[in-house]
Amino acid sequence: MEKLKKKIGSFSFWNWVIASIIFRLILIYFPKNLNLSSRPEVSTPLTSFRRLAEGYWLKQSSMSSYAGSMYHGSPLLLSLLGPLTVKRIEGQPNHLLYSLVSVIADVVSAMLIRATGQNLRLAYLRSLESLDLVKQIDVSEFLFSGDIAALIYLCNPFTIVACVGLSTSPIENMAVILCLYGACSRLIPLAAFGWVIATHLSLYPAILIIPVIFLLGCGPDSPPRKLFLQRHQQKEVLNQSKLPPGFSWGPIIHFAFWAFLWSVYVLVLCGISLKQFGGLWEMFKSTYGFILTVEDLSPNIGVLWYFFAEVFEFFRNFFLIVFHVNILFMILPLAIRLRHRPCYLAFVYVAICSMLKSYPSVGDSALYLGLLGWFVNELADMQFSLFLFCGYVGVSLLSPVMHNLWIWRGTGNANFYFTTAMVYACLQIVLVVEGISAVLNHDRKLRILITGKPQDAKS
Amino acid sequence: MAETKEKSLSDEKPKPRVRPIVRLGIFLISHSFLVSIVCCTAGVLALFLLPVLAKNTYISENALMPGSASPMLSNQHVSDGNRLVKDLTNPNSKSSETGIESHKIIAQYMLDLGAEVSFHKFHPQMNQFHPLHFFSSPVSGKIQENYSCSSYGINTVGIIRAPRGDGKEAIVLVTPYNALKSGFGEALSLGIAYSVFSLLTQVTWLAKDIIWLVADSQYGEYAAVAAWLREYQTPKFSSLSTPNAEMCPDVNNLFELKGHSISGSKFSNSFRRAGTMAAALVLKVRDQNEQFEDTISIYAEASNGQMPNLDLINVVNYLAVHRQGLRVNVEKLWPLLNSSWLKSLGEIFESLAKVAKSLYPKWKFGIPATEYVEGTATLASSLYYQALGVPTGPHGAFRDYQVDAITLEISPKFSLDKVWRNDILLRGGRLIEGVIRSVNNLLEKFHQSFFLYLLTSPSKFVSVGVYMIAFALLIAPLPMVAASLYVDANSSSNCSKGDSSTPSAITDTDEHGIAIRSWSPTTSFMIWVLLSILSLLTLNSVLASPLACAKATQEKEWALVKSVTISSVFIGLGLMSVINFATAEIGALLMVPMCLLARPLKLDVRAGTLRSFCRLICNLVLGHIAFPPAAFFLLKGMLDGFGNANVGDFWMWVESLWAWNSATYLFIGMVQLPCWVLCVSILFHTC
Repeated sequence: MEKLKKKIGSFSFWNWVIASIIFRLILIYFPKNLNLSSRPEVSTPLTSFRRLAEGYWLKQSSMSSYAGSMYHGSPLLLSLLGPLTVKRIEGQPNHLLYSLVSVIADVVSAMLIRATGQNLRLAYLRSLESLDLVKQIDVSEFLFSGDIAALIYLCNPFTIVACVGLSTSPIENMAVILCLYGACSRLIPLAAFGWVIATHLSLYPAILIIPVIFLLGCGPDSPPRKLFLQRHQQKEVLNQSKLPPGFSWGPIIHFAFWAFLWSVYVLVLCGISLKQFGGLWEMFKSTYGFILTVEDLSPNIGVLWYFFAEVFEFFRNFFLIVFHVNILFMILPLAIRLRHRPCYLAFVYVAICSMLKSYPSVGDSALYLGLLGWFVNELADMQFSLFLFCGYVGVSLLSPVMHNLWIWRGTGNANFYFTTAMVYACLQIVLVVEGISAVLNHDRKLRILITGKPQDAKS
Repeated sequence: MAETKEKSLSDEKPKPRVRPIVRLGIFLISHSFLVSIVCCTAGVLALFLLPVLAKNTYISENALMPGSASPMLSNQHVSDGNRLVKDLTNPNSKSSETGIESHKIIAQYMLDLGAEVSFHKFHPQMNQFHPLHFFSSPVSGKIQENYSCSSYGINTVGIIRAPRGDGKEAIVLVTPYNALKSGFGEALSLGIAYSVFSLLTQVTWLAKDIIWLVADSQYGEYAAVAAWLREYQTPKFSSLSTPNAEMCPDVNNLFELKGHSISGSKFSNSFRRAGTMAAALVLKVRDQNEQFEDTISIYAEASNGQMPNLDLINVVNYLAVHRQGLRVNVEKLWPLLNSSWLKSLGEIFESLAKVAKSLYPKWKFGIPATEYVEGTATLASSLYYQALGVPTGPHGAFRDYQVDAITLEISPKFSLDKVWRNDILLRGGRLIEGVIRSVNNLLEKFHQSFFLYLLTSPSKFVSVGVYMIAFALLIAPLPMVAASLYVDANSSSNCSKGDSSTPSAITDTDEHGIAIRSWSPTTSFMIWVLLSILSLLTLNSVLASPLACAKATQEKEWALVKSVTISSVFIGLGLMSVINFATAEIGALLMVPMCLLARPLKLDVRAGTLRSFCRLICNLVLGHIAFPPAAFFLLKGMLDGFGNANVGDFWMWVESLWAWNSATYLFIGMVQLPCWVLCVSILFHTC
């Protein structure tokens, strides 16, 4: 125990950050051997670098960038990153500038994660203090969850692969993290900006509006409000100043205003850039429409491509609705159960989206695994951690081999690859389920510490 | 923190309800000792049962219809073939230094039949190592910079266009031929191929083009075929490419000669293609033979244990046995045939089957003991050659492009009279004709039958569904033991694990090894061992964190290391079983007992009971056996006798694995050696 603490205390955060950046640069300088940008795990139809370059080329030759069903991203991304796809520096790797942008996006995300994690940790300590639990729980043993989360995000092989594989997911992840950071540190315009951009880029982060509302309304993660009330009833002195603030509508209206402003701004920009080519409707059809109707059935690490390749045509719409409503169904129960922990709620939403979205890639997993680091203290007693770790390592090695067996060697078939996709989905489900139950158990433990007597576990 | 909380909770927390699947898992984990013994024994037993469980092969693809048409190859074609053999063995044709004359003769013969002929010039390519080969798409052959005009080979290619086809599919017939020092066997194989070729120019049923590739084998048969295939599959569009064979004056000379001496418009200088390849047959005739009847050997293993579709072997086997009366052979490990313990094991299985049959007459699974021994020897060689990952012949080059191919080696009982030669030409030719006719009937590429199988005889096979059971049983205890160790170690202390540096040390040392090239194998091997130990020790002292904290954690450290070792072995073996099953099976046989038994020697010595003494002995023995060089030495000694086994052999063996891009090389370097080191470090753990 002591040893571990000493280790955490002495390890140098910045050394690791620099090491991970150097590692990325090394990989960028040897891209020929890796060929990561054509891997199905890294580049989906939405995040592929090649499609971005194709879209930019179409735009340059004054055609609609959505012509030919190649590009399905945002027109803003095309204007910002497009020029980097063609710019070359003599004697350097082909896409050096673009890769550098990805690296910077990763580092910025990690810094934001770190800042948010520190916020969360402080809030957690404050709530423990107001519950008078500081003596029972040794606060000095609390890990610096912000540092850990940032390092998990930076050193995660998934993040590195997504960054070196030139996909656009580092940018999308940065938008999501920006939104959460803004909400945690109550920078409402920033949170609204992050939310609007993340939704604009990949649609699914739209459901993050619920955790953001909770974050703005009643502050970052804390034990359930009931506990504070119980505590104060015990002491029989109702000290209002020690109670966490109740739900306040002011910031939320503020947020709504800013979100409206930013979305109008983004839409106007998109409208300008797509003026001659069918306007905004064309954009919605080939970005959101493409995401929702699962048109591209090329294999990826999700489960939808296989399913929709097999399903009969006249059931297709029905199952499209079923799969997408699946995400929506989970929003409400989770929001009710985890309303006192909005950041954790955001993590769970991101994980569920990356499991059920139509074109998942390892970049999405990188995001939720990074966010998982925020809750190391709460999740210390999580079950199956070894199993999950080995499962993730095994699946991420096995999946490319199965793909190779199917596509290049011809001795396997699609089922081989799909098996790994299913195992991967199962692992994610186990992670989410066990994570939620570990957090709820943690709350239960706090309550027992306060009331001094166990209650029925089901309460 | 968790500890304090748990302490306060332990007496009052109600037991939460556990889901059944979790309860089952907990049950297995708590009885992991028993489970691992049962599973490992069952796994080894199942491996020995495989020859008994082998099924008879059957032709799965209906369209093949082997042997449904009577062979059309007549004595006329045989005498054509004979003429070519005579011309090639004629001493006049060997006058030229580069062997161009014989290529010209072959080309002229092809042209006379009305086939399209072209020459393909190639440079033997150096082997390159692509470690990420199994995770990504194949690397198209990189153009090498330093060509020299002195070393090049010439493949002669003849193509018959099918009268009924659309030119989109082709069947390839390959005959390796070394013009400089060809034996009579090679000439004879050309004769057989020519007689078939001459028949196929006349038939009306041909629906796929026929490509006859006379591969120049002076730089190895594989290199020639691989070079031709690379050219065939990856067309180069840039004309101003790197220095090419065309620039060499010698080769151009060849073309000039052609222009004068060869008549016919169908000769072309450019590379000629036909459609996608449906199948390929490599035909060889062996020069010497000790056997008393005409036999035909089938070689099928391609790189990394890939096999052609079983239907191709079935067709050849069916036609050879039932139509041409040839004996079909697949490779056996000959030393196993005489082993007495295998024979007695076979007798035990036989008597068990008899007992079972007497109990219930419908149980018929026994096979005679001799058949069992032969099946085991074939299975062992099948496993061995797949595990090597080195192709057993030029057919291996085809498998990299998803073309099913096998090598047929005819070994005739030798005599020199003409009747015998005609007989071989006729029967060999008819066999090839039958196979080509069957493949010609195919509507799709081979897909019906198995790709993943092990042969126990030419007509018996073990499919993936059966042999995977043996492997799964063998590695099933690993996750359970890992979980139980982890749970035990975790419940007593929450200290994190160290020692993650050792695997990286091993991969480092491998690179050291590769750098040394110029010494003799034995010295290089010794230097490799020394360097590995040195770098391992330095890295261990620099990086590894011996958890020098409380005594309780140190006692549990070895359990954590063992848990990590076992889980990484499990992941490595699982991964390898997909890439190359045979390697994983052999690796599992070596490593699973060692990993499961590993326990600090000190603890066993201290305990002093009989059980711990047995474990000590087992640990020491396994620790020696599982070291890859030792395992190699032992196996080689067992098979060839210990007298001529040499330490440098291992070095040569590993180098050949490297040169052939074998996954086994990676497996040894990334899984087996690191895990062996971890196990040894557990054995010598100070606690």
